[in-house]
Amino acid sequence: MINHLDLLIVGAGPAGLSAAVAARSCGLDVGVVDEQGAMGGQIFRNLHLPFGRDVLDEHDKELGLQLFDAFHASGARFFSETTVWGADKNTVFCKHKGKSEKITATKILFTTGGMERPIPFKGWTLPGVMTAGAAEIILRSGGHISADKEPVVLAGNGPLLLSLAMHLIDEGIPIAAWLDTGRFSHKLGSIMHMGSALGDIPYLKRGMHMALRILKNKIPIIQGVNQIEALGENSLEKIRYQKNSKWHEVASHTLIRHENIIPRVQIASALGVELVWDSVQRYWYPKTDEYGRTNLNDVYMTGDGAFVNGGEASINKGYIAGIAIAQDMGVLSADEGALRCAESLAAMRKTCKARNYLRYVFAPNPDAYKVPDETIVCRCECVTAKEIRDAVREGFHTPDEVKRFTRAGMGPCQGRMCGNALAEIIAQEQGVSVEKVGMLRNRQPFAPVTLGEYCSLHAPKI
Amino acid sequence: MSDTVKIYVDEKMMEVPAGISVAAAILGHSHSHNHSNDQSRKAFHNNSMDASPRAPYCLMGVCFECMMEIDGEANVQSCLVTVQDGMQVKRQLNTEAFHYKNTEDDLPENRRTNND
Ligand SMILES: Cc1cc2nc3c(=O)[nH]c(=O)nc-3n(C[C@H](O)[C@H](O)[C@H](O)COP(=O)(O)OP(=O)(O)OC[C@H]3O[C@@H](n4cnc5c(N)ncnc54)[C@H](O)[C@@H]3O)c2cc1C
Ligand code: FES
Repeated sequence: MINHLDLLIVGAGPAGLSAAVAARSCGLDVGVVDEQGAMGGQIFRNLHLPFGRDVLDEHDKELGLQLFDAFHASGARFFSETTVWGADKNTVFCKHKGKSEKITATKILFTTGGMERPIPFKGWTLPGVMTAGAAEIILRSGGHISADKEPVVLAGNGPLLLSLAMHLIDEGIPIAAWLDTGRFSHKLGSIMHMGSALGDIPYLKRGMHMALRILKNKIPIIQGVNQIEALGENSLEKIRYQKNSKWHEVASHTLIRHENIIPRVQIASALGVELVWDSVQRYWYPKTDEYGRTNLNDVYMTGDGAFVNGGEASINKGYIAGIAIAQDMGVLSADEGALRCAESLAAMRKTCKARNYLRYVFAPNPDAYKVPDETIVCRCECVTAKEIRDAVREGFHTPDEVKRFTRAGMGPCQGRMCGNALAEIIAQEQGVSVEKVGMLRNRQPFAPVTLGEYCSLHAPKI
Repeated sequence: MSDTVKIYVDEKMMEVPAGISVAAAILGHSHSHNHSNDQSRKAFHNNSMDASPRAPYCLMGVCFECMMEIDGEANVQSCLVTVQDGMQVKRQLNTEAFHYKNTEDDLPENRRTNND
């Protein structure tokens, strides 16, 4: 596929694309791979399609189209539907349409982004239950969220719920209920004020606009919800929720849950990149400097995969990393590097400071992990909270030990969906902090590879 | 008006927008007002441990609940594959629970059914 590269970038979201633009501007030979069918990452998903563009607001659309243009003009190469499953000193292993490939590069930058925090609840495996990101992607694929614009139910606590609610209102899809699982009341009010508190005027305007539309549309927002259950035979039929120890019911075929974004750290964990715990957002993130350098030689990480600061910050973070890599390769002097980074670095620091407010507003409620015993925590292997708690009582004290005993985290998703909850439940059971319990360790391959895919690496090239 | 492609889901033809993923095509473009007939709410596959019905949860490559057979290859994450004209997609409906470990002895003790 490709010979040796100066820089291989894994992930074609805002961070990866803008890192490619920066590194190309310094003359590096750059390749970008992404497991998705097209570039854009989460925020710019399907921006190349008309309905993908229609859903995005003007500001984000403008940013995305500019970035795409710059990338196309840069001469960096892009490989879609290519999943990276392994890495070793300056080498990356990936699979594309059933065949594995090996790519070598002097520097490797991981911009693999974030994912929505999975919080288990009873019935969350039923068809009809999905995340806010999934619902967004359906809309950006020109699809419908529900049949005949049937009402849907939103649940959780995080910024994507707000923008999704806007898009549902635009589509004329009623919201039967919005079950708020956050800890802070009057969040809508605080969103209206946060921009002014920080002097970020454009952001204030967008927040105000969203809050006003939600208020105007009289969506029933139910605060202080502490248990949610999805019920149905073969797919979702109704939702039960508990508030003030009373149970209520609402009928719907669609439940959309969102509990904010966390970095995807499986690759960092498998490679041995040092990880740090954020006690506000309750997630692990790779330890990097502002330029994306990790504790491993030639391995860089940035974007939301390094710490969640959002799309705009990711563009700047990526650019800075691209320049820093050129500098580390000796292509640029330190002075020249600093000069070329200056603007993005200042912008990035400003956005990160402003958006830090969101980190607190949408802090997860640790009680959300106090799930009933019968709840399936590991979706792949069908391991319940009870099995995990029993394992802790039997003397297994870390996610890795509990995994070996219960099989939680051993399925195809390799613990991406249950890892966080597993650690939270183990910590609760022992009355210690999650940080102390540690995280579910990942190993290579970080994506399932079939024997055939693996063997294709060693097959003679015809 | 954007382009469309024809894909076949369990041999039934669906005309969907070009450029989107297989999973997004099925979830967003096969609704029916008759709920029992709603293809978008049908299982994409059954879980291999308990045979429960599963459908895409994340649509972004993390949860593996969108696994389907695509053009003859099983267990493909359909949210990562772009629809192509003539693509053959099959739901992996296996309503009998089975373990992908061969024998019960491979399972940890607490998960064997004949625990005595
Ligand atoms: C589901 C979801 C929806 C979001 N929607 C919005 C939104 O509408 N608006 C907004 O402002 N922010 C949104 N965000 C926040 C988003 O994380 C950031 O704003 C921004 O997209 C982060 O940019 P990034 O480049 O760091 O990562 P991402 O944009 O997440 O891009 C990472 C890319 O890496 C690829 N990747 C990951 N692992 C591998 C691998 N092993 N091999 C190959 N490729 C891989 C992914 O396919 C992805 O395309 C969303 C986040 C999520 C998780
Ligand atoms: S829907 Fe989650 S991996 Fe495809």
